[in-house]
Amino acid sequence: MLFNSLEYFIFLPIMFVLYWFVFNKKVTVQNALVLAGSYYFYGLWDWRFLFLIIASTIVDYFVGIMIENNADERKKQKLWLWVSMIFNLSLLGFFKYYNFFVDSFVDMFQLLGYQIKSTWTLQIILPVGISFYTFQTMSYSLDVYYKRIKPCRDFLSFATFVAFFPQLVAGPIERASNLLHQITNKRTFSYEQTAAGLKLILWGLFKKLVIADGIAPIVDDIFMHYETYSASTLILGVTLFSFQVYGDFSGYSDIAIGTSKMFGVELMSNFKFPNFSRNVAEYWQRWHVSLSTWFRHYIYIPLGGSRVSKMKAIRNISIIFLVSGFWHGANWTFIFWGGFHALAYIPVYLMGRNAIYKDSVVGENTLFPTFTEIGQLILTFAIVTFSRIFFRSESLTDSFNFIGRIFNNFSYEHYVHPNGYRMVDYYILLAAFVLYEYRIRKDERSPFKFRSKAVRFVAYTLVVFTMLLFYDSGFDRSFIYFQF
Amino acid sequence: MKKLVKNLVIYSVLILISLEILVRIFYLGEDKPSRFVDEKRVEKWVPNQNGYNVTGNRNQNFIRYNINSSGFNSYQEYVPTDDGVEVALVGDSFIEGFHQPYRVSIGRKVENKLHDEVKVFEYGYSGYDMADQLHLINAYKEDFDLIDRIYIKVKFNNDLNRGEYFVQTSRLNLESPLNKLLKKSKLLVYFSEIGVLDPVRDLMKDVKNLAKGGVSEKTETEESETDQQQLDSTYLANFKSLVSLYGFDKKKTVLLIDVSETSTVFLDYLNANGFQYLDFGNAINNSKRRTTLVYDMHWNNYGRTLVADIIKNDLVTSGLAKNPETE
Repeated sequence: MLFNSLEYFIFLPIMFVLYWFVFNKKVTVQNALVLAGSYYFYGLWDWRFLFLIIASTIVDYFVGIMIENNADERKKQKLWLWVSMIFNLSLLGFFKYYNFFVDSFVDMFQLLGYQIKSTWTLQIILPVGISFYTFQTMSYSLDVYYKRIKPCRDFLSFATFVAFFPQLVAGPIERASNLLHQITNKRTFSYEQTAAGLKLILWGLFKKLVIADGIAPIVDDIFMHYETYSASTLILGVTLFSFQVYGDFSGYSDIAIGTSKMFGVELMSNFKFPNFSRNVAEYWQRWHVSLSTWFRHYIYIPLGGSRVSKMKAIRNISIIFLVSGFWHGANWTFIFWGGFHALAYIPVYLMGRNAIYKDSVVGENTLFPTFTEIGQLILTFAIVTFSRIFFRSESLTDSFNFIGRIFNNFSYEHYVHPNGYRMVDYYILLAAFVLYEYRIRKDERSPFKFRSKAVRFVAYTLVVFTMLLFYDSGFDRSFIYFQF
Repeated sequence: MKKLVKNLVIYSVLILISLEILVRIFYLGEDKPSRFVDEKRVEKWVPNQNGYNVTGNRNQNFIRYNINSSGFNSYQEYVPTDDGVEVALVGDSFIEGFHQPYRVSIGRKVENKLHDEVKVFEYGYSGYDMADQLHLINAYKEDFDLIDRIYIKVKFNNDLNRGEYFVQTSRLNLESPLNKLLKKSKLLVYFSEIGVLDPVRDLMKDVKNLAKGGVSEKTETEESETDQQQLDSTYLANFKSLVSLYGFDKKKTVLLIDVSETSTVFLDYLNANGFQYLDFGNAINNSKRRTTLVYDMHWNNYGRTLVADIIKNDLVTSGLAKNPETE
């Protein structure tokens, strides 16, 4: 079930009404409803893969308890932690990476001059959201192991924590320390929280339906036929892809966070206006925050983080970016994408500028950014956008050909929309979007923060009206991050 | 909770009203002309109405239409006479031409190309099939007897689904009091045009199919596609039935068809029985320039010019008009 489908707009109010009016007496009953709803929500894609979620839930539930039960024996605790890691990584390894390893193995032998026929590759369907919920359950076992949280002994609550439908298929990847206690405790209805949730859902839908889906046919066309387009069109294509992937994923996250709010649950922020980052380090503090912090807590810091020698710190940075790339997909393009970001991040780290923008936003105390800040924003956006050529291309060959066409034969040509629409509509739309996001840049959870009710009403109306102006009924409206 | 429900209702209503106003200000929703069945049981547009046809979310195609006193979209009134050369173009939405300025329609282009030596009356109506077309010609026999040449646009796979004319209630249901009321809201018309209501319609269809026992329409289509030969013979039988019921003047009536999309069974029948036809598919499909509109599949100005050329050449060949190039 997609967030931007009619089914969801029937499902959500039904769940809301049942949750607050029918099953509102006991938290266990509410959780049972949410769990059943979550399994239904997921099962509409492919009910067979529900068993993977249930299996992951059972394994980590028992691992958590066993780690606590063996409090005096660290070795046994470690063994139980390994059970969780091996189980979850095996799921990922099989469903997501098996064919990639087999193909890479065959390619490597062929490079060495041995001809092997790949007979081991399998027809495997990637279960939606597997990278998200396996990381969530692993983080739970790790947190129990490192004594950051107590294990959950209520199976129903734990299963609800793993399968909570708003964030099940594409995050935010929650930590048990943030989400689990909200699931186990009684929730109370709050008008302010629900209204804030509805506003986020509206803003998320706008980003998905207008920004991402509006641009998608142009991006698809340019990347599919890049051999026939000039450099200016290729630059346009990858720039628009930057907006598309941002609109798509942050739109999804906003809807997820907004939906959770409607059920009295606060999820962590996943996007904090990454297009207004002044360097690559700040970008990673603002883009897909739940994944970045996951890697930071569970890989980067255990490896020593930045409190080690410079060389080791550079190694650690490289590792998390390469792993992050690999997390996105079983393709060398993603690993290159991660490697490129490591190369862009390391100079920032060496100059000691990786944490200087941690607690501020661009134009912190001014209406407009300074010229220096504008330069920083453009440079960061250009670096990040360039990396997306690897992210979007089908193969490394395509990526390098794409880049080659930009640099070897620079020329300008007028681009015509594949469906004949006026391109100027999209340029105006994006300019307005960037300006509006700049206005709200200090609070990603309040996209309609206006004192005047009338202004707020005008904003809602314009958002809905623009959604109609750019609605495309013939477009496949799935989310990009579902493939990960 | 009461506050939430109250505010949701108030905001929703106010937003809908604002959207209705915005849609009207920017003229995003098209004007839907009214249709009716006349005293001769011919379905057509209510005479003497005009408005704007709009295509695309953002008003990308904005065309004025003008329904004349005969109930068809045209710049002129249809008064066939004994004098002069008069031509009729009968067909569906391609001939109706709501997607084009009515002053540069196919008929008008033919007239211009022949220096107004002929008059072209366009009897186009969205959804007309062969039964509608032959019934129209038969119902208005006195008028069509005065017309010198009749072109009927036919798509073999679409327009021969029935062997007898009857009034299509599904189209006329659009004139039900409820639909008339709904049409008053430009916002609803706009929703419908851009596909916002499609998921709702699909869901209702699915629910209906489920209630019927789970037979989806898709399956029926898939099954029917498996026996094309049988379909071809059904279409041909329908054609024969229509011709025998409503008549067909082979001397002056010409079918406008896309040969590349027409069954050879039908073409063989036409050739063997002296039916005249013109192929517009060759010119349209092999054109190096785009022949259809950007926002839908109807012919654009260039496509219409190509079709007008074909008709003009036929009129010259048949001796009804002089070749303007040799004058």
